[in-house]
Amino acid sequence: MFEFLPLGFSAPAVLLAAAALPALWLLLRVTPPQPRRIDFPPLRLILDLVPQQQTPARTPWWLLALRLLIAGFVILAMAGPIWNAGKPGAAGAGPLLLIVDDGWAAAGDWTDRVAAAESLIRGAARDGRAVAIAGTGEVAPEIPLGDAGAALDRLRALVPVPHTPDRLAAVLPLQRFLDREKTAEIVWVSDGMTAGGGAGFVAALGRLAAGRPITVLTATAARPLALAGVENSAAGLGTRVLRAEANGRDTGVIRASDRRGLPLGEAPFAFAGSATEARALLTLPVDLRNEIARLDIVGERTAGAVALVDESNRRRRIGLVSGGTADTAQPLLSPTYYVARALGPYADLREPRMGPAEAIRVLLDERVSMLVLADIGTLPADLRQRLATYVDEGGLVLRFAGNRLAAATNDDLVPVRLRRGGRALGGALSWDTPRTLAPFERSSPFFGLTLPKDVGITRQLLAEPDLDLPRKTWAALADGTPIITAERRGQGLVVLVHVTADTTWSNLPLSGLFVDMLRRVVNLAGVSDGQARAASGAPVSVAALRTLDGFGAFRSPPATARPIALTGSLIATQDHPPGFYGSPDAPVAVNTLSGDATLARLDSGPLGARIEPLVRPAPLDLRPWLIAAALFGFALDTLAVLWLSGRLTMRRTRRTAATAAAVVLLAGLGSLQQPSPAGAQTPPAPAAGQRPAMSPKETDAALATRFAYVLSGDTSVDETSRAGLAGLSSFLSVRTALDPAEPAGVDPARDELSVYPLIYWPIVAGRPLPGETAIRRLDDFMKGGGTVIFDTRDAMTSRPGAAPTPETQALRQILAGIAVPQLEPIPRDHVITKAFYLIDTFPGRYTEGQTWIEALPREGPDAERPARAGDGVSPIIITGNDLAAAWATGRRGEPLYPLVPGGPRQRELAFRGGVNIAMYALTGNYKADQVHVPALLERLGQ
Amino acid sequence: MAKTRVLDSTERAVGTRHANGALDLARRLPRLTIEARRIAATAAHGIHGRRQAGQGESFWQFRTFTSGEPASRIDWRRSARDDRHYVREREWEAAHTVWMWIDRSASMGYASTLAQAPKVDRALVLGLALADLLVRGGERVGHLGLTTPLASRSIVDRLAEALAADRLPLDLPPAVTLAPMTEAVLISDCLSPPADIAARINGLSARGARGHVVMVLDPVEETFPFEGQAVLAELEGGETLRVGDAGAFRERVLARLEAHRAALREACAGRGWTFAVHRTDRPVSDALLALAARIADRGDLSARTGTGG
Repeated sequence: MFEFLPLGFSAPAVLLAAAALPALWLLLRVTPPQPRRIDFPPLRLILDLVPQQQTPARTPWWLLALRLLIAGFVILAMAGPIWNAGKPGAAGAGPLLLIVDDGWAAAGDWTDRVAAAESLIRGAARDGRAVAIAGTGEVAPEIPLGDAGAALDRLRALVPVPHTPDRLAAVLPLQRFLDREKTAEIVWVSDGMTAGGGAGFVAALGRLAAGRPITVLTATAARPLALAGVENSAAGLGTRVLRAEANGRDTGVIRASDRRGLPLGEAPFAFAGSATEARALLTLPVDLRNEIARLDIVGERTAGAVALVDESNRRRRIGLVSGGTADTAQPLLSPTYYVARALGPYADLREPRMGPAEAIRVLLDERVSMLVLADIGTLPADLRQRLATYVDEGGLVLRFAGNRLAAATNDDLVPVRLRRGGRALGGALSWDTPRTLAPFERSSPFFGLTLPKDVGITRQLLAEPDLDLPRKTWAALADGTPIITAERRGQGLVVLVHVTADTTWSNLPLSGLFVDMLRRVVNLAGVSDGQARAASGAPVSVAALRTLDGFGAFRSPPATARPIALTGSLIATQDHPPGFYGSPDAPVAVNTLSGDATLARLDSGPLGARIEPLVRPAPLDLRPWLIAAALFGFALDTLAVLWLSGRLTMRRTRRTAATAAAVVLLAGLGSLQQPSPAGAQTPPAPAAGQRPAMSPKETDAALATRFAYVLSGDTSVDETSRAGLAGLSSFLSVRTALDPAEPAGVDPARDELSVYPLIYWPIVAGRPLPGETAIRRLDDFMKGGGTVIFDTRDAMTSRPGAAPTPETQALRQILAGIAVPQLEPIPRDHVITKAFYLIDTFPGRYTEGQTWIEALPREGPDAERPARAGDGVSPIIITGNDLAAAWATGRRGEPLYPLVPGGPRQRELAFRGGVNIAMYALTGNYKADQVHVPALLERLGQ
Repeated sequence: MAKTRVLDSTERAVGTRHANGALDLARRLPRLTIEARRIAATAAHGIHGRRQAGQGESFWQFRTFTSGEPASRIDWRRSARDDRHYVREREWEAAHTVWMWIDRSASMGYASTLAQAPKVDRALVLGLALADLLVRGGERVGHLGLTTPLASRSIVDRLAEALAADRLPLDLPPAVTLAPMTEAVLISDCLSPPADIAARINGLSARGARGHVVMVLDPVEETFPFEGQAVLAELEGGETLRVGDAGAFRERVLARLEAHRAALREACAGRGWTFAVHRTDRPVSDALLALAARIADRGDLSARTGTGG
């Protein structure tokens, strides 16, 4: 019935019921929906109007069609329709040749391939056809043709190989087979990848087939994902993730595991669009990163999805020690600057800022894999012993020459004996021009590096001409003088560069060659002897240790695995399956794919073959869908009947629908807008810690210098403070260049203090203590360079040795929460006594009180100066003399308070003290430096 | 779609809820507004100046004393200015009579879900509240065909009793002729043919009485918000009309109703009457305020033009 459609029915007889549909038509036509009664008083006025649209006497056609459709759905559903019910038919009569791709790329859907091949073989068995199977991975010289049973056995014996198959090798056996069997039909179960000579194989197969029917079974999209090009950078362990084409597997996870198979970390990757390459970056600590032995794509069971990691991918930790004093202010002059810049991209550098011996100890404790000693001279004996042990156990010490090394004696941590003193070329006492480097010997690890022409050596350390000197020489000057020598000691290596690490002896550190050479040296750190020998040119082969099978699992090396030469490319082939080779301690990794490999989809179009999918879709029972469609139709019918009878207002539903659509649209827009780039977003809301806007008071205070007093809450005291500071301000503007503005009263809990240079704080007993905020702000103010004058105003009442006055107690409580520096009575040589006037006391309304200030250091270079000052300004001055009362003047300049004992001289001195305090707070230790001006002028005069 | 409800005759009957509603509404109406209007319009309602000398409180004019009059009429203060004697005349002031007619026919007992109240409720509350307002303002109010003009303080109860006792509500006001200087207030849905209504208005105003028509409508009657297949039914005659799609019918219905209203407005304008539409989805106070204002304006107008004189 439906030959052209993959549709079948489980109960086709039910379809006969469709004949009853016309009867249903007649039945449905005559039952229109019931109209609705509406009471409408003005009807009398409109009775004569003939309605334009007449009452539908019959069911409208569309409703009829809907109902017939529903009935049709129900009948169809009862007949049990099944989509994809048909089976693929096998064609042809001659022998069947099955070519099965069994490279790593086929491992991912291997069971599907085997199932497809098996169903083909079974079909051939039903037809009594002979079957031959040829795998492209491991090519047998002859392709046996046998019955289907033997072919099934051979099929089950096929396993994917872990390397990229060489399909071209299979062409010759195929040709022999096809020459023999002229009527053979060819079915190729292809992995769809170009790797392994895909294009050439397609061409060859097309030529061989020569008109025979060919069927290619292949997945609709090449499924495999692969890893290649592991790179250990500063950011992390990165790798390329490859695929042949966009296949819907856009994201995934890379898992790293160590040598024992324990997972160490995971990193996601995502292909952008239809890109065939993505990057994954494992950001792990270096120690952990160096433990990584294997990377997998999670859920991908092929050898290509495994990347093995060996020593060459380790990120090494290198310690830098310099003999010179480390001057961080001038990095270009640091002896290790060029080494650090050259090695930074390839290794993790550690450069402790301490003395050389200490630094070496620290680095040895940190188990660095390489130690760079730039111009290190004599070391303590125990440290020499530790360094020797370190080298014996596999450490690499790279030394650079220098004056200290040249002067050192008994230094045995050098590869060659050194002649004391160096050789200078092109200097004042030498007629020679700077020497350039000779081309590298084949045995040198630097072999192959190109020599820049402009490298010149002006000074160097000379080696004693021993017998084994040429063997130890890695690089030499054009005149044959060794410039880089090395010696293997135990497991480790000592390398000496006979010039300095900076540019004083040569311009070698400025050249690109320096970077390349250092990188090669770093690659030697921690490598095994064999590899080192291989690196030095000798052909070394290592045997397989553990290898991968086609599914990416470790196994013992197969019998066919042969040792691999370390000098060649380390890419898996049939003879060298991927895996670890060499010694168990430092194995060499051989990977399925090379670092720069790419994957591509194989175009089998030139074959002219019938292309069929590998996996046929499963049969689909259409019954539930038809029943659901019928139910939906019923719902529509109910709505239509309601609408026809006027019980459903179209207008309102329309409006609701419009509203709903608008809401959905807005929600969609909102969700679209959400991941918009940050640049398009509104500026972020002010952070919680952001400062509030400045008040006008703070603005005023910041625009003009003015003094502040703390509002005590006692009106008379506050008024005295204000008048006092105002008096001092006017005195200052008369006598000095300073012209302060009106003083401001502040509340430390609320106001910003940092805009005032000097704050006067009269202590009033019995007032509540300032709160936590006020104390914290005051502390910040004092730490930020401000000066606070605490005035207890109790010089009249306090007696030395007597109980503290209430004001003193209040002051102690205030200062309990503040880091108060050590205090002392103002010494005679303090700079505050010379800041403007030369004075020795700070009287206020009273004269008996002691004035305290931050204690100055007693020792130090300026202890003997006539004026001493600390680094900054004393944050605190404590007095009891009631300064403000002495300074307080009325509007006409008259003093407001009498002084004790009294006299104009005392008031003048009080003002002068205030001037000095103000100058001290504003200028700091400037006056202390001014003291030296005569001496400086005197020196300049000479 | 709006649902409609038809009230039966017991529901349509006048009850205490109408009286209470009317009293409540009349009390709620801001009295100050009315006072202000009265001051502004000289005589909105209550005592209306007749622009001629007569019984009243306000000064009208001085005229010379004619002998034979009682000497007590002489205004001595004015007469002392010269040698003649003057008499102070006051303006003749008299109360108005307002005739009211409230439609309580079957078509008034109708409410849709869009409305706040049935039409009949709205008409009764509006009419009774207006009566109370007018009486408090000093007018006399009567119901056409049911009562005589009354100035009782319990006018609402009196009218309500009379309305409740009337068992044969008619579609149209009685065909009587009102005396000049009276005013008529017809509150109805005016669903009779416009020619009938115009004839009654002409009859009522044959001797110069003025009036106001308030057409109370359900919002459904003005917008016809129906869709789909329907049978339209009339409440009084029992006629039905079957429409296939009420939505498609709407425009023609609305046009017809608009024409009906235009005819009514024409009939009113021809006799100097006012015409207003009150929809039951609007607050009743709106209608009352507007009606009171129109009555006040008319009183002023008639006094100024002197047509009532």
